[in-house]
Amino acid sequence: MDLFVNKKLEVTDICKSFGSQEVLRGVSFDVFDGEFLSLLGPSGCGKTTLLRILIGLLDPDSGKIAKDGENITSARPDKRGMGIVFQNYALFENMTVLGNVEYALKKKKSTKSDARTRALEMLEVVGLSEHSNKMPKQLSGGQQQRVAIARTLALKPDIVLFDEPMSALDVDTRLSMRRELKRLQQQFGTTMIYVTHDQEEAFALSDRIMILDKGDISQLDTPENICAHPANDYVRTFVLDNLKAKVDSLARFTRSIANER
Amino acid sequence: MNGKMRGKTIVNVCITLFFAVSVLLPIISMFTRITPASVSGLIHSPQFSAALKNSLLTSLTSTVISMALALAAAWCIERTGVKCKSILKIIFILPMLIPSISHAFGLVTLFGSNGILTNLLRLKSGIYGFAGIVTGSVMYSFPVAFLMFDSILYYEDGLPYRAADVLGISKFNQFTAITLPYLKKTLISVFFAIFTLTITDYGVPLLIGAKTVTLSVLMYNKAVGMLDYGTGSAIGVVLLVPAVAAFLADMLNPDNGQNSFIAEQVQPKKSMGRDIISSVFCVILSICVFLPILAFCVIVLNTKYPINTTLTFAHIQNTLSRGAGRYLVNSLIYSLGTGLLGTAVAFICSYMTSRVKGRFSKGLHLLSLTSMAIPGMVLGLSYVIFFSKSGFYGTMAIIFLVNSIHFFASPYLMMYNTLSKVNENLESVGVCLGVSRIRIIFDVILPKVRHTMFEMFGYFFVNSMMTISAVSFLAPPAPKPVALMINQFEAQLLMESAAFVSLMILAVNLLLKGIVQLAEKRLSREKD
Repeated sequence: MDLFVNKKLEVTDICKSFGSQEVLRGVSFDVFDGEFLSLLGPSGCGKTTLLRILIGLLDPDSGKIAKDGENITSARPDKRGMGIVFQNYALFENMTVLGNVEYALKKKKSTKSDARTRALEMLEVVGLSEHSNKMPKQLSGGQQQRVAIARTLALKPDIVLFDEPMSALDVDTRLSMRRELKRLQQQFGTTMIYVTHDQEEAFALSDRIMILDKGDISQLDTPENICAHPANDYVRTFVLDNLKAKVDSLARFTRSIANER
Repeated sequence: MNGKMRGKTIVNVCITLFFAVSVLLPIISMFTRITPASVSGLIHSPQFSAALKNSLLTSLTSTVISMALALAAAWCIERTGVKCKSILKIIFILPMLIPSISHAFGLVTLFGSNGILTNLLRLKSGIYGFAGIVTGSVMYSFPVAFLMFDSILYYEDGLPYRAADVLGISKFNQFTAITLPYLKKTLISVFFAIFTLTITDYGVPLLIGAKTVTLSVLMYNKAVGMLDYGTGSAIGVVLLVPAVAAFLADMLNPDNGQNSFIAEQVQPKKSMGRDIISSVFCVILSICVFLPILAFCVIVLNTKYPINTTLTFAHIQNTLSRGAGRYLVNSLIYSLGTGLLGTAVAFICSYMTSRVKGRFSKGLHLLSLTSMAIPGMVLGLSYVIFFSKSGFYGTMAIIFLVNSIHFFASPYLMMYNTLSKVNENLESVGVCLGVSRIRIIFDVILPKVRHTMFEMFGYFFVNSMMTISAVSFLAPPAPKPVALMINQFEAQLLMESAAFVSLMILAVNLLLKGIVQLAEKRLSREKD
């Protein structure tokens, strides 16, 4: 399937303030069907607020959100065909792994056996079948995040939103979770919108990256284009210089190992 | 207005109405009873100035003694090598399970004109009046101060002391530079809390005060004895002053010095001399706690101590035949009703303030804490004035309500702190999955905070079993709780019956505490 053809989500002129603090200043962008879009920016740039507005947990002060051409700005979160995965997993600790995944399915009036089958299917997809009867706190951070993903995917959303889902994980788990996410996206063809403040993560995962600065979009483009043509000094400093620093340190490390040998 | 907003607005309106009816309107109606004549009459009456002086003197003295003993006891527990610390802790908080009036009665049993120790040691009985009020108030307030100090010392970070040792800083300088600044805020909080507790208490001075009349007793005599609501209300306002000051001090002093992160706990160094002195101190304190309880057992189970020491159950039978059983049932109903109502309302309020953002939440948080600043007696009188012409007056439900408000602030804070620590996104996940907030509360949040719910229920229950402050204004006409029988039996010189009632309250509260502990243990096992 060609990317950047079918518009899945059209976001137009979204504004949001909390008291006198303007958090989003007329943000407009499109998201394409099957795309992996990252919202990248430092703390306080408005990326989580934007994500919460997209799913309907927050109302925008003004602006419009359309999905598949339909205006969903005022739709209830569960009627938007979207799912969300939070940074701190937000698992239901009093339920088993299976219970977490089938909870919403049962409430959606699926029959018990349908809910069970679907939940088990999703646990298999995320590689947690053998942990289905464990309680969340018996799992590692990465496994808990997979449960949260399975719980979200079980309801077959068109778009999955991720709110810094890997910031609580260690470096190794992050790398394996990145691969896992890409695999899931390819398997289900789901559109994914991913909030992160980690440049490396955004560049590794995304089809396009939206760089936010103080409630405005600084640049929205493919990783390659951002590297080749940074839109302004902010993009150059916040994104490219930081990435370059990481590359330099990796290069120094590689050289030191080579010299030792 | 969408469904989400409508639900929130309905809950907010219900809570506002609840607090308006249960706190604001009764207090306002009490204020309306105050006339310039009643204020002027009160100020110029010699009774008032004497009561004010007595109240201030007894409360200040007992606060200082209580704080000193509690700090020393907490220090022994947390900073020395005394043995059986957990048992000592339980003993030190045991007095919290009996009414203040029982402490005074315990003193009368031991040191009264015909007291056990008065006869045994051939003492001159000087326990009535100032000394009795101070001793009773210390016994009653000591556990509260102990719990506050013990908690602050337990959570003190040991790292600064280790660093100071490495830098060669003397123990005295460590105390002035590390310990005192750390304890300063707690000392202020404990001072206000204990002063308020003792100045607004009415059980101890009523029973042992004799001619030393305090403000709380004067208020009761004026309002209930002489039906002079104007003067009673004016005294109520005076009693509000220290409580409001304590409340403001606590509000302006939100950080009680407790660290959210402790690098390492303070480890007491070995010192045999210090440990021996500490152990002796703890044993003496434990004896002081047990003496009144032991005295109650002795007089209840002896035919006529010390004249006839034959074992008997006649006093128990006699007490029960005088209606103590019926009054105990009343108390159990009150405690159960207050436990259920108080826990439900405190949960709803703490949920709204900790997990639903907005201006209303901040206002409700303040309002919920305000109940801390209203002494039980003031609440009781305000309920008499506000509800006396309604069908609600004289029912058991009015006691459920007044007790729920009287003891509201602590359980509310317990749940507020617990809910604030629960993952903030659970409801958001629910909403996105198409599960309502109410369902998430029942299916996910409540199971997670069951432990705190049990603690809240236990707090309401135990305090409702013991209280005599607000209920003494409302019962009668409402059915009398058993705690009010202590004073009545003592006045009729039925000392054995008064002692048995105190023991009954202690036994019920111990049983309830045991059940709560068992339930909590079972929950922890389930969690693991």
